[in-house]
Amino acid sequence: MNSNWPTAELDPVRRLRVLAGGLHAVMYADAHLDLPFTEVWAVAGDLEHELPHLVPTLRAFRCYPTSEDRQLAWAYGPLGHRARFDVLLQTGWCLMQSRYVVGGMAAVSEGSGTRFAVLGGLRQPWSTPFQRALRPLGRSRGLMMVDRAARRALVRRDRGPAEAHGDR
Amino acid sequence: MNTARAGTLRQDPAPPQVAQEDPWAAAAPLVRTAQSGDAMALNDLLSLLTPYVSRLCRPIALNNSADAVQEALIAVFQGLPRLQDPRALYAWVRTITVREAVRVARRAERETPVCEFDDIAWPRSPELAVDVRDVLRRMSTEHRAVLVLRELEGLDERSASEILNISSGTMKSRLHRARHSFRKAWPR
Repeated sequence: MNSNWPTAELDPVRRLRVLAGGLHAVMYADAHLDLPFTEVWAVAGDLEHELPHLVPTLRAFRCYPTSEDRQLAWAYGPLGHRARFDVLLQTGWCLMQSRYVVGGMAAVSEGSGTRFAVLGGLRQPWSTPFQRALRPLGRSRGLMMVDRAARRALVRRDRGPAEAHGDR
Repeated sequence: MNTARAGTLRQDPAPPQVAQEDPWAAAAPLVRTAQSGDAMALNDLLSLLTPYVSRLCRPIALNNSADAVQEALIAVFQGLPRLQDPRALYAWVRTITVREAVRVARRAERETPVCEFDDIAWPRSPELAVDVRDVLRRMSTEHRAVLVLRELEGLDERSASEILNISSGTMKSRLHRARHSFRKAWPR
């Protein structure tokens, strides 16, 4: 018999699922990756170097820490436009929001691997029906992002983080 | 000049005594911000609500409590824009949580034979753990929900019956049976 009460706390992936529901986010997906948590989160948590690899519409992401787990970030698009993001980054948990957009990533150990989740959506209340209608498409986009994270983890394992940063 | 500017820019946090006296009242501004779609406010609200929602779900949903907590919080957050008065957050969250916990527990009962409840993890005191496990698993989901609302939350019969969507008469008889089952099952 186990010696603890039934676990009812939300792990980071369940937590992101709740936020996706509350935000009516167009993109939410999670999947099991056959990679250790540390390798997955080494990618997800390295926003400045890795987020442009995970999000194709992002040319660069510059971070400026404001406290232990908070950052101010500037996202640069391929055409030079930019957006300011508030970022909350903790182990296994990342939440980012600009004036119009919200994004998030979460990871939790699962067996010998990791469950990794991603979220993306618009902040405007009027966008709710629109986001709901596009959710199937958002899920496939999210799974592609999860897959890109797994591939980046393998690249960093093979070539080391410093050399992997120069891919783009 | 710099000092004056820094002084005007600094945002004083909410008075600490408010948070100590009633965290639910302190949550009202957070609710307003979260209703506008602020993800950081939703995140803070999630941190505030999760322990309370977990406490309600555990005795009702037993080993499915993690699912119940997740489903309850999704329902709470999806309904948040419709919450008119943030001061009603506490009662509103309780109503949604208990209903979701009952729904998840009923669904699990349909899918899981009772004997599999042996897999539940229990508290650190082995004797108490066995006692509580045995008592709870002998009770129905409806009886567990009634006991949580009346004995743990201290609600009156009318409020509890409204949350569970049952008549006052049904509430009384269900509570009577739940208490009887508990006393009968509790080892002396």
